[in-house]
Amino acid sequence: MKLDSMLLCRKLTVGYAEDQPVLSDIELEVRRGEIVALLGGSGSGKSTLLRTITGLQPPLAGGVSLLGQDIYELDDEARRALLRRTGMAFQQDALFGALTIQDNVALPLRELTKLPEPIICEMARMRLALVGLAGFERRQPAALSGGQRKRAALARASILDPEIIFCDEPSAGLDPVVAAELDDTLLRFRDVLGITIVIVSHELESIRALADRAIMFGHGKMLASGTLSELEHSQNEEVYHYFHARSA
Amino acid sequence: MSTVAAFDRPSRTATIAVQGDLAIPDAKGLYDCLKSISRRRDVRTIVLDLGKTERIDGAGMAVVSLGRKLARRAGKKLEIANGTRHKQALELMAAVPKNTIDQHVETPPTKFEVLGTRVLTFYEGVRASVKLFGDAFHQLGYVIAKKKKLPKGATSGFIVAMGIDALPIVCMLSALLGATLAFQGIVLLKRFGAGMFVADMTGLAMVREFAPMMTAIVLTGRNGAAIAAELGTMRVRGELDALDAMGVSSSRFLLLPRLLALSFVQPALSLIGIFVGILGALVVARISLDLPANIFWARVVGRVDLMDCFHGLGKSFLFAQIIGFTGSYFGMRTTNDPSSVGSATTRTVVVGIFLIILVDAIAATLGSLGGPG
Repeated sequence: MKLDSMLLCRKLTVGYAEDQPVLSDIELEVRRGEIVALLGGSGSGKSTLLRTITGLQPPLAGGVSLLGQDIYELDDEARRALLRRTGMAFQQDALFGALTIQDNVALPLRELTKLPEPIICEMARMRLALVGLAGFERRQPAALSGGQRKRAALARASILDPEIIFCDEPSAGLDPVVAAELDDTLLRFRDVLGITIVIVSHELESIRALADRAIMFGHGKMLASGTLSELEHSQNEEVYHYFHARSA
Repeated sequence: MSTVAAFDRPSRTATIAVQGDLAIPDAKGLYDCLKSISRRRDVRTIVLDLGKTERIDGAGMAVVSLGRKLARRAGKKLEIANGTRHKQALELMAAVPKNTIDQHVETPPTKFEVLGTRVLTFYEGVRASVKLFGDAFHQLGYVIAKKKKLPKGATSGFIVAMGIDALPIVCMLSALLGATLAFQGIVLLKRFGAGMFVADMTGLAMVREFAPMMTAIVLTGRNGAAIAAELGTMRVRGELDALDAMGVSSSRFLLLPRLLALSFVQPALSLIGIFVGILGALVVARISLDLPANIFWARVVGRVDLMDCFHGLGKSFLFAQIIGFTGSYFGMRTTNDPSSVGSATTRTVVVGIFLIILVDAIAATLGSLGGPG
């Protein structure tokens, strides 16, 4: 039976010091096939939360259940096995400069599977085609634009067909056309590959185009959760201001 | 996943029915099956029946795509049967261009082109280093004329970081070097009854050659590499571009403080190295030859003159410029790729030590032309 709850945070407190939590008592759930956006102003703790969810930063309190397993109660090997079923696209693309784009995308396959080389190359080519980078296989990351590098990073994050992908600011610093292309790519990941997506972003246009639900953070806690339309008409002054700051 | 292969002789059709998931763990099995069937001469058509296939992941899609290519290459046809459940995956495969990689295949350069590229790269490197050298002196002129300032506290900070922190290792190596020289000298000179001349030999060698060179090699590995790594990281992080964009000379802001610090630190450490090295030799001479310290010292002072000191310390000053310029040059020429930082530090050490030994050899040759000193 397929698990429906992909991510579950219970009374989660995240931060870097016990006496200075960044976010406290977070309760959130992401279900299979959803695209959920984590919103909030700069310094609101979205990225710290994402690091905690993906096993990079232990929580100060509470638990994170990822794909049905409490990530911080697993031993190292089991945690690595769990994380192989997830993908992470970092804010900085984190591509390896010494490798070609195809080798970057094929790296998880070469390291974590015993697939023969022709299948690995074909998988990498197909995934690059899916993100709109057909023909860029032999280029170095330095020869690509920012948007192209982000798409290559998404291809690498998704090459093992993860059940859930976490994206930290995927369209930050991109022009509207490239950002829209990236949004299309993420939608295709959900629609074609059935991948659940959690996005941390500031780009309201992207979130409007992508997210089924959004969760807003501020003042060290969760301020609101719901569909974009619900949040845009929220009674919470801060949430309302976040969505209407430009029109004010 | 399990595969069931059936062969229909009259129509020369092989049917492979895939049951269960077609995913990463099972992809190799199907690939091998497709490869062997596409080699069979009695097969004209391969049918891949996906009617009982549960899930197809990226590896599964890749195998089906590869199967098509294998069949096409062998003059056969691959057909998908009962694929409606996997329509999206099949559409995705159809959307992949057939030979995307080939569009960007570049023909390998000829030997002549490789040689030409190397010559041009070398020429470009020489030009850039001369430009950096010239710009640094230009900026130094501004600083001396008080038209521009160095960053506050930078030079003194580098003197501390480069000099005081390197003092223990320079002292230790110089002492060991002086002692080793004395050991070797004593063994040889004693045969001729000239053991006490070990003082002359070690004194002269430490002052003119070994202390400046040893210090320079230590500082190249320690500070030259650090300069290259620091400037290279700044290049990767866009800090050098930021200086250019602000109209601030990176030669004055980054290079000159390091160069001035090295110009002070390298001769100073060499001087300390000379004394510590002679001290090491003195201890060995005292133990091995029972030579009194005052006699040893008197022989050193009598043999080493002011010109020898100028020779050693002058070379030290030149070595400082080599260390500073190679570190800065390779650091600033780093590309935006983080791996080039490692390459810059390696080149700094290799080229720096090579130039130091080259300059030392030239100086020794020129020194010998002027007589035995």
